[in-house]
Amino acid sequence: MERRRQAALLALPAALALLVFFLIPMGYIFFRTVGNDGVADFAAFFRDPFYLDILWTTLRVSLISTGLSLVLGYPAAYYMARTRSRVRKWMMIVILFPFLVSAVVRSYGWMVILGANGLLNQALMALGVIARPLKLLNTEGAVVIGMIHLLIPYMILSLVGVLQSIDPNVEYAAYSLGATPAQTFRKVVFPLSLPGVLSGCVLVFTMSMTSYVTPKLLGGSKFRMMATMVVQEINVNFDWSAASAVSYILLGVILAVQVVIVLLTSGYMKRMGGGKNG
Amino acid sequence: MDDRRVNWLCRVVAGLVIIFLVAPLAVIVIASFTPTALITFPPQGFSLKWYANVFQGSTHFMEGLANSLKLGLIATGIDVFLGVFAALSVCRYDFKGKNALLNYFTSPMYVPSVAFAFVLLQVYSQIGGVPGMARLLIGHLVIILPYIVRNTVSVLHVFNWTLEDAATSLGAGPAQVFFRITLPLAKPGVLAGALLAFLYSFDEVALSSLLSTPRFVTLPIRIMNYMELTFDPTLAAISTLLIVASLVLILLMERFVGLDMFVK
Repeated sequence: MERRRQAALLALPAALALLVFFLIPMGYIFFRTVGNDGVADFAAFFRDPFYLDILWTTLRVSLISTGLSLVLGYPAAYYMARTRSRVRKWMMIVILFPFLVSAVVRSYGWMVILGANGLLNQALMALGVIARPLKLLNTEGAVVIGMIHLLIPYMILSLVGVLQSIDPNVEYAAYSLGATPAQTFRKVVFPLSLPGVLSGCVLVFTMSMTSYVTPKLLGGSKFRMMATMVVQEINVNFDWSAASAVSYILLGVILAVQVVIVLLTSGYMKRMGGGKNG
Repeated sequence: MDDRRVNWLCRVVAGLVIIFLVAPLAVIVIASFTPTALITFPPQGFSLKWYANVFQGSTHFMEGLANSLKLGLIATGIDVFLGVFAALSVCRYDFKGKNALLNYFTSPMYVPSVAFAFVLLQVYSQIGGVPGMARLLIGHLVIILPYIVRNTVSVLHVFNWTLEDAATSLGAGPAQVFFRITLPLAKPGVLAGALLAFLYSFDEVALSSLLSTPRFVTLPIRIMNYMELTFDPTLAAISTLLIVASLVLILLMERFVGLDMFVK
């Protein structure tokens, strides 16, 4: 009984703070929105091709960014997990360092490189490859590049941990039994690293779906994703009911992804025999 | 045999990823020293005038920096208290619903910050009179709490609780046990969490875009506002200062606490 009281006392400050500043505001505004005919706003969202296009753009950019982060991050993480500790230490520093730099600064770096007068265009023109500057900035491609730059450290950090915990002897065993590197990867390494792949992908996808700075700075004013749209509806169009429809739909997508992932992982755990030793 | 080729491929990709990650930052640092307003490579000479610009009042960068630091430090300071106690409550004790409680503590992570910012905006417009800094502080307190709770929990998860009992049986009071045993052993997690929380707060833009008032503007917003009006290397100069600060921070952390706590 004494211990229960202690636990409750320790939990209380944070629980109260979240209740007052998070749960109550979220619930209050949600029910007010629904009460004020918010359902009609949601319906309007799904009928309007303009908004559907924004949702689709957001999903597309996030899926591409997640996929490319995985494809590029996996070999890098594998190398990090298997290399000597000195190299690993320096790679860790190099990967974590941009991670600490503000997203605004990192997007700015890409603006300097990709802009109409940017370094890439300057270099291509100096080399005579192109006569007029290419439009690289303010495109979906620029957003994807910025997004991968922003999020690939998360992917690598999620993967390094799992890959490190795979005993290299398991791979040697597969080789000695005649498996090719591709087979070893497909049948041994990749399945064992699946938890890290999954958590990395969910993290990157979610952060990409909700990101604001990168699409705003690298996509330009005509490129819209869900988060930039919410801010635009509020600060530019002064349309709060549209903003609330967009923001609740974004929230809904994020929560749906979480639910799917929980279901998927529990299914995976069952197939693997219910535990680490299965 | 073929294992070599795999290693080689991984090494090349790792190298490319590192170049990709560092290139934009290196470009910024070099660009900050160009004398011309248009950034060219290689730079035509060397100049520190953009750095002088950063410190001029008209850019408001220093004022923004002070605001961002104040906001980040206060929010992180409060949340370290809330978060460490919250983590202790779900790790030290066994009770029904402790997983639910942990999920509750980390739930702000699953809400897009722009959606939460909009909710707060609507609440503030109903209440009225919430001053500039408090508008942001409340938001930051909520969105950074999960980072502190999660990182502290990840350490306490493997914590040997009999150490506390041992200290108690040797006559230590609860406060002594906490400050002399539990907290020092949980320090890596608390530090990692606090650092991530502070950085998140320092870099946060979505909340600030919707909630900040003209009297309290944070540094990232100042930089973005400046960008919209003038695209000169003053931006590279302030960015370089932030990059150098991050580099110092990461090297200090590597030296004193190690970076392995970031590997999940």
